Amino acid sequence: MLSRITNPSEKTLAFFLLAPAFLLIGCIVVYPIGRLIFNSFHDIRLSGGTGVKFVGLENYLILIKDREFWNAAWNTLLITLITVPGGLLAGLGLAMLANLPFKRKWPVRLALLLPWALPLAFAGLIFAWFFHSEFGFVNDLWLRAGGAQREMWLSKPNTAFAAICFAIIWKSSSFVALILLAGLQMIPSSLYEAARVDGASRWQQFTKITLPLLVPSIVVAMIFRTITALQTFDIPYTMTKGGPGNATETLAMLIHKNTIDYLDVGYGSTLAMGMFGLSIILTYVYLRRMSAEDHVNE
Amino acid sequence: MKLSKFCVVLGLTLLATSVSAQSIRVFSGGQNQRPDLMRLMFNEFEKQNPGLKVEIEVGGATSELQRQYLSTVLNAKDSAIDIYMLDIVNPMQYARAGWLEPLDGYLGAEAATIMKTYLPAYGAANVVDGKIVALPAFADAQFVYYRKDLFEKYGVKEPKTWDEMASGMKKILDGEKNPNLAGVSTSGAAIEGAVCTFLVPYWSQGHEFTDASGKITLNKEAATRGMNMYLNLVDQGVMPKNVGEHKPADMNNLFKTGSLVAMVNWGFAWNLMQAADSPVRGKIGVMPVPAMAGGKSATCIGGWQWGVSAFSKNKASAARLIRFMSTQPVAKFLATEGSLLPIFAETYRDPDVLKKEPWYEFALPVVQSAKGRPLSANYGQVSDIVRTTANAILVRTAKPADGVAEIDAKLARATR
Repeated sequence: MLSRITNPSEKTLAFFLLAPAFLLIGCIVVYPIGRLIFNSFHDIRLSGGTGVKFVGLENYLILIKDREFWNAAWNTLLITLITVPGGLLAGLGLAMLANLPFKRKWPVRLALLLPWALPLAFAGLIFAWFFHSEFGFVNDLWLRAGGAQREMWLSKPNTAFAAICFAIIWKSSSFVALILLAGLQMIPSSLYEAARVDGASRWQQFTKITLPLLVPSIVVAMIFRTITALQTFDIPYTMTKGGPGNATETLAMLIHKNTIDYLDVGYGSTLAMGMFGLSIILTYVYLRRMSAEDHVNE
Repeated sequence: MKLSKFCVVLGLTLLATSVSAQSIRVFSGGQNQRPDLMRLMFNEFEKQNPGLKVEIEVGGATSELQRQYLSTVLNAKDSAIDIYMLDIVNPMQYARAGWLEPLDGYLGAEAATIMKTYLPAYGAANVVDGKIVALPAFADAQFVYYRKDLFEKYGVKEPKTWDEMASGMKKILDGEKNPNLAGVSTSGAAIEGAVCTFLVPYWSQGHEFTDASGKITLNKEAATRGMNMYLNLVDQGVMPKNVGEHKPADMNNLFKTGSLVAMVNWGFAWNLMQAADSPVRGKIGVMPVPAMAGGKSATCIGGWQWGVSAFSKNKASAARLIRFMSTQPVAKFLATEGSLLPIFAETYRDPDVLKKEPWYEFALPVVQSAKGRPLSANYGQVSDIVRTTANAILVRTAKPADGVAEIDAKLARATR
């Protein structure tokens, strides 16, 4: 036995060397997900000593009929569909701007980094103040520009939703810009020189050289952004708390409300499973599209 | 060398734990619950109990933010906090969840007598399933604060109904012709106060939200009429269009800067309006909340309680502290220094108190007749349903009748 430890075979050695990694993954990935699935089949309400009761599919049946769940799922999807391309466009513009041959590069880089370094909740609070109906500067501009009266931006479903998307795009565009900037700097300048010699216009240079060579960076940025967009929580939570009514509530907020505020861990876990399912569907669609495009490129 | 270092560290750790064993940590609510005044009373307790130190922790500006924070701490069975300040709607939920230490044993034979000294509503709210689970800190209720000077200038009498309120406000607003002056406001933002905003006109029509067994008995027509009343006020231009964004603190700011003629607000507002730096100091009056036409004035009872954590390691000392904090001298101090409403009927009649808070004369019957919000082990969920939907109605994303039907349907699931 002792000799097996002091002088292990290759197989045993591999086991011992890999064990810590598996243990870690087990603790931080497998156990929580397993526990989530377990919880979703139980009635666990911490608000009154009902204990843990197995209820089978009851939570899932409630979920299917739960208007709040579908409303939040739709909001989450809409935020993803608006802010991912929106952030990408804004980020691309910023990256192109930062890639211009400035004499001093650091002020531009700093300006790019700052929104990214700001905590999400801060960004949400700042934008909540911008759109505040009495003290906000958006209303000040609005009145100066000839608006008839102060608007309640965050109390109307459509404008509240737009304001939140605007804040998310502002916040996420710098992250996208950083990734795209790295991509832009990988493009050799000789390509542009050759294009200029051949008489290509600026627009042609952009569409024929910059964009195709930037695709790998764009894909990376889009994947990261889609994942974070599906988990949107902080900005709507601090700007509107999901209001007015449930008009801007996302899935992550609904899960938080049920588990933390209502202490309904069972149903909260079921909602999280619902979100998990939606993410899987979206990822599948995404991967299918991308592999299709890879084939076209080949 | 190493061993001696270890001994020093060990010694310091032991010292630190022995010191913390004699200190009591109190979660003392948010700024509206005046932790500054509570601190002064804790100092008094420390003087009377040498060897005991009271630490204070302040959190969440609104009741529902505090509930969120405390739910997390208490679910984790955290022993760091010994005493919690609780909104009147919370003792039942916390007691049923097993988070509050029953106090009967600590109060001894006098327990029942002590509870009888408080205003009946506060005696009742703190007894759950026959056990005393908390002691009252101070009372509260919603009143209408109004600009006495403007009412007098235009000969407007204190309105008894919302219709009278609307015509009075119109008279004042038409006369003042000030675009920055708004009429009357109330808590319309989706915070705990919006539960009261929903219930007050409903109760005023003589209906109850729950029956004796705690079952929801919502009369949808009456609730719809109540919410329509607010929307009518907005349409008549006497309630700000953005009432759906107002929290008590927003109303205080507007009222204090002279931008609001009247507001429905809690007891603590009086003291803030009478502060030395307040432009409206000496110009304000207080009256009961108006009734619906043909109904009776109703108001929401508020108020805060002290509870000992079931996970505390210093329960006996903690119980002693909250007993001290729920006595008449402390109530008198909180009333005169912070206009926090007393939990004893006698304190309202105390000449020293009346000198500083002349409006207490009529405040007592209001507090005595104020109604309680539905008590439930799932109060967090009940409150969330009512306040988000009431808010949606006030910002007009839901029609009153639809919103009320939604509240009814969701409550059925919450209380399953």
